[in-house]
Amino acid sequence: MEILKTSALSIGYDTKTVVSNINVTLNEGDIIALVGPNGAGKSTLFKTFSTHIKPVGGKIELFGKDLISYSPKERAKLLGIVLTERPDDMFLKVFDVVAAGRYPYTGMFGKLTENDENEIKVSLELVGVNHLIDRVFNTLSDGEKQKVMIAKAIAQNTPIIMLDEPTAFLDYPSKIELFSLLKKLAKEQKKAILFSSHDLELLLRYTDNLWIIAKDQQFVAGNSTELLKNGVIKKYFGLKDTDNDYLLK
Amino acid sequence: MKNSKITFGILGIIIVGIALFILNLFVGSVTVPFDEIFKVLLDDNPDKTLSVIIFNYRLPQALTALLAGASLAVAGLLMQTLFRNPLADPSMLGISSGASLGVGIVILLTGAISGTAVSSFGWWSTIGVSLAAFIGAVVVLFVMLAFSSRMKNMTTLIIIGLMIAYLAGSITDILKFFSLKEDIHAFVIWGMGSFSGVGTSKMPVFAISIIIGLVVTFFLSKNLNILLLGEMYAENLGLNLRKNSVIIILVSGYLTAIVTAYCGPIAFVGLAMPHIARFLFKSSDHRLLIPATMLIGMDMALICNLIARMPGFDGNLPINAVTAFIGAPVVISVILKSRK
Repeated sequence: MEILKTSALSIGYDTKTVVSNINVTLNEGDIIALVGPNGAGKSTLFKTFSTHIKPVGGKIELFGKDLISYSPKERAKLLGIVLTERPDDMFLKVFDVVAAGRYPYTGMFGKLTENDENEIKVSLELVGVNHLIDRVFNTLSDGEKQKVMIAKAIAQNTPIIMLDEPTAFLDYPSKIELFSLLKKLAKEQKKAILFSSHDLELLLRYTDNLWIIAKDQQFVAGNSTELLKNGVIKKYFGLKDTDNDYLLK
Repeated sequence: MKNSKITFGILGIIIVGIALFILNLFVGSVTVPFDEIFKVLLDDNPDKTLSVIIFNYRLPQALTALLAGASLAVAGLLMQTLFRNPLADPSMLGISSGASLGVGIVILLTGAISGTAVSSFGWWSTIGVSLAAFIGAVVVLFVMLAFSSRMKNMTTLIIIGLMIAYLAGSITDILKFFSLKEDIHAFVIWGMGSFSGVGTSKMPVFAISIIIGLVVTFFLSKNLNILLLGEMYAENLGLNLRKNSVIIILVSGYLTAIVTAYCGPIAFVGLAMPHIARFLFKSSDHRLLIPATMLIGMDMALICNLIARMPGFDGNLPINAVTAFIGAPVVISVILKSRK
């Protein structure tokens, strides 16, 4: 099922366009990697999808309706984000962070129902960090923090989750663990997952499709394997023949 | 922290507060015997003079300290969470500076127009000073609201607030330079802060305006909690950032403006009390922090008022000299203790 669709979307700040003419769709169960050099506009795209900034041109549709026609509360139930920034409060607990994901569903004083508490526990279990529930968030390792932020997005119970560089700062085993977690969310929970990453080798293995923002601000979308076979990846990443052959194996 | 521990902590703070409140009634330049307090309060054939001292001076003063302490402390908590800066306090919005400017303008204008000092107008001068302080505070508050409604970035907002505070401060200094000597004295006294300015006659208006503001803060707890994750996350969770910061600045500015108008610019309470609440309860949940901060603010203001009025000081020690003197060691000890 089609969840998100852009038509002739241009993104950027005020009148400065960073990337233009983006035409993509995000479907149920998709796991898509957004790749490109630093500064190409990956974060700008996330900020546009999360309505932190307005598109410079074109349209974004969410379930066939214009993204900006949703109220902030409605949107919060459809699209969850995980960013590179982290809460840094001295006493904020893991439970509190994941509970924040229930914010769009709670009443005026944010009182959690039994159902909310359950969702929080299930989310933590799904990412495998339920033992951290009473810990202070600030005392966790980078990998644990990342998982808790993902648990927050799961507790938010949205059909789309977008993650900005979720594998940065992680060691190799944690990266693999995270990629398989994202794949599991896409395949088992039928969520649409969009994430940015620089780990080309790994993401080719775990994702179906790639969105590439290239240096010349062009936007290319396509099947990961095909993009690799027909040399598009090689071209945009400036890979040597030997490196390309290695990835093709 | 377990629920029972939280209840225990809150109850402890309340009991200390009640004890301090009673102490405030009978300690001062005239010591009221303990049994007389109850005679006066229960109207059991009390001593006339003592009755006047308690009802007209000590009770309103203790109530003022209670309400002002709660207001400034909770206003500080709101600022610290909104700006995600542990050093933020209501003065960062330039509100106290705005109040000072208002007072400065009134003092200069009366001096320049009538040629006499404001203080020579007696009772009217205290009303005039309160009103001027309130108007000055509100004007700065609206300037800050105008900025906050156009900005999402809290760092730029905090810088603008500080600049406005400096600007108002320097204009006040220029005004003072041209003022009469008697008025500068009046201005300095106002700037030292005091809980004795409200009195019985102005108490109803003061109390009702403050209580309304305090009640409203409870409705902000959910949004404040969500802000702890950071602005981008809060926005993604459905929080309207601009609207929310306008409301938080409005509420904390409103409380600060009223307290400053009646009691003068009181420093330190807003900055320090939220930290005591956080470290004491090891929590960042505003549903707990808001009432805890208010209660701790009340206790602290009552302690300060008590010390400022100790018999030896003849009732004249400025509150601002006491708040940091008492408060700073408390904050340091609370932090050190929780670090163990």
